[in-house]
Amino acid sequence: MKTAAEANTHQVILDSVADGVFTVDLEWRITSFNAAAERITGVKRAEALGRHCCDVFRASICETECALKGTHRTGRPVVNKAIYIVRADGERIPISISTAVLKDTQGRVIGGVETFRDLSQVEELRKELEGRYTFADLVGRSAAMQQLFELLPQVAVSASTALIEGESGTGKELVARAIHNLSPRSKRRFVALNCGALPDTLLESELFGYKAGAFTDARRDKPGRLAVADRGTLFLDEIGDVSPAMQTRLLRVLQERVFEPLGSVEPVPVDVRIVAATHRDLDEWVRAGKFREDLYYRINVVRLRLPPLRERREDIPLLIERFITRFNRVQNKDIAGVSDAALAILMAHAYPGNVRELENIIEHAFVLCRGGLIEPQHLPPALHGAAGKAPRRLKTGLTLAELEAIHISDALRRHRGNRAAAARELGINASTLFRKLKTLGIDGSSSPKVR
Amino acid sequence: MNVAIPTLDDRISPVFDVAQTVLLVELDGNCELRRQTIPLHSQDIARRVGELSQSGVNVLICGAISRPLEEVLCAAGIHVIPQTCGAVEEILRAFVAGRLNDRAFLMPGCCGRRRRRGRGAGHHGRSGRASGGRTRGGRQHPGPDGQGQKQRER
Repeated sequence: MKTAAEANTHQVILDSVADGVFTVDLEWRITSFNAAAERITGVKRAEALGRHCCDVFRASICETECALKGTHRTGRPVVNKAIYIVRADGERIPISISTAVLKDTQGRVIGGVETFRDLSQVEELRKELEGRYTFADLVGRSAAMQQLFELLPQVAVSASTALIEGESGTGKELVARAIHNLSPRSKRRFVALNCGALPDTLLESELFGYKAGAFTDARRDKPGRLAVADRGTLFLDEIGDVSPAMQTRLLRVLQERVFEPLGSVEPVPVDVRIVAATHRDLDEWVRAGKFREDLYYRINVVRLRLPPLRERREDIPLLIERFITRFNRVQNKDIAGVSDAALAILMAHAYPGNVRELENIIEHAFVLCRGGLIEPQHLPPALHGAAGKAPRRLKTGLTLAELEAIHISDALRRHRGNRAAAARELGINASTLFRKLKTLGIDGSSSPKVR
Repeated sequence: MNVAIPTLDDRISPVFDVAQTVLLVELDGNCELRRQTIPLHSQDIARRVGELSQSGVNVLICGAISRPLEEVLCAAGIHVIPQTCGAVEEILRAFVAGRLNDRAFLMPGCCGRRRRRGRGAGHHGRSGRASGGRTRGGRQHPGPDGQGQKQRER
């Protein structure tokens, strides 16, 4: 039996220790709690004593892999395991913990002891070094991306229309999804529509829907994307590619919040947040008279710019790491990373296809690399300097149509079957490309579209 | 009203950020209509909030919760009652009876009251009877029956 004086001495000793220390009995109730534990957890000793340790400690591992229970079960101590606790004020505190069993003089287990050290300062330093690199599905340590991460939650909770600018493959849809997921509309649908990929008539019926009998084959009513996205978010990708006629109809939706399905004269009210995206410079497009100024000002309420990958090369290693982790999980592989030589090639590439292209390159490497590090030989040949860039020697005597077919097929292959992107590169409309594919007999769907 | 409580065996899970299952109870006033257990798959904030939103959760009664996660839940219109501890069934009874502010259900370190946060607070149901029925913004708490304390008193 401990005397009061002994207990007091023990407490003084415990309180002089810089690390947090607490002990539990066999029912996981706190039996002692030192001053450092009070300071780190924000819980007073008097409040902690007698309570369940998980209610006091609130650690990330309490639920799944309690270190004290593990030590109790196996008899083996845990040493310096890094976890975090959540204080009453909602602050996550990174700590390292060590555990051991407590035995009485006869060697019987009477509970456990846990010591823990506040790693906040260490963590702060680590964060300062690494930055805060991820947000939703976006990754980036570059200043531009960090700025975007800070802005996104504020943009999300506002109800304003947002315009995302960025080249193809920079992740405009990911940003739009993040805005939706963090917004009060997240319970409702996120509906995406690529305006650039569809001819006007198809875009109109997709967007507004139609009534039965509106045109041949319209046997029953079909709700448009606007109706589906009611009280949710409608993502209009490639809005810069919309025809002047469609721009007028979109303007009406944005101004009056009503639309009319094809074949209907009844306006349908709609409550939808529009997030638009484009790879074009809309300012320039407006100046050139290709985009309505009034529509531009309607969608350009909050403007977010996604930089191309070549402008944020510092993000390439992070993105590579992210893709390797994902493909390892999906393909059940164990690839450790990229070698220095392969990384040098990847860092030097211009990435006209941006993050999507980098992802495809890593996926290509996963097919060829069996394990260990991704080496230069696992990367697509086009990345290997001038050899990959050498122009293809064409046979002589080709007709103009044959040359056109080769050129279009190449463009489609480069864009993985994405006709809208191929049409952009070729400097023609998507509908012109469709027509050419048909007349030249090219099967545009043979190259799979990745995203 | 759909009330979600993250569970660990028969007790409330100590940290919502890493909780793996949630008990979802549908209440009509003080009557329990149905209950189900749903798994939480992701620890990513946006996905975790999305999982709750898709299940139609109005109120989340939880243990410790980190500030960013609570803020996004509030923005999604889910009313969060944090720093709650104890047995799940007792917590549910206390919520229905308006006794959730009893000290017995408060985690240690809360100085006798829960922290409250902006949007969503007061929209749904922290039971107003024990709490005095007002949020920091001075709005009325509807209880589990969707009515405010004053309305009930009338």
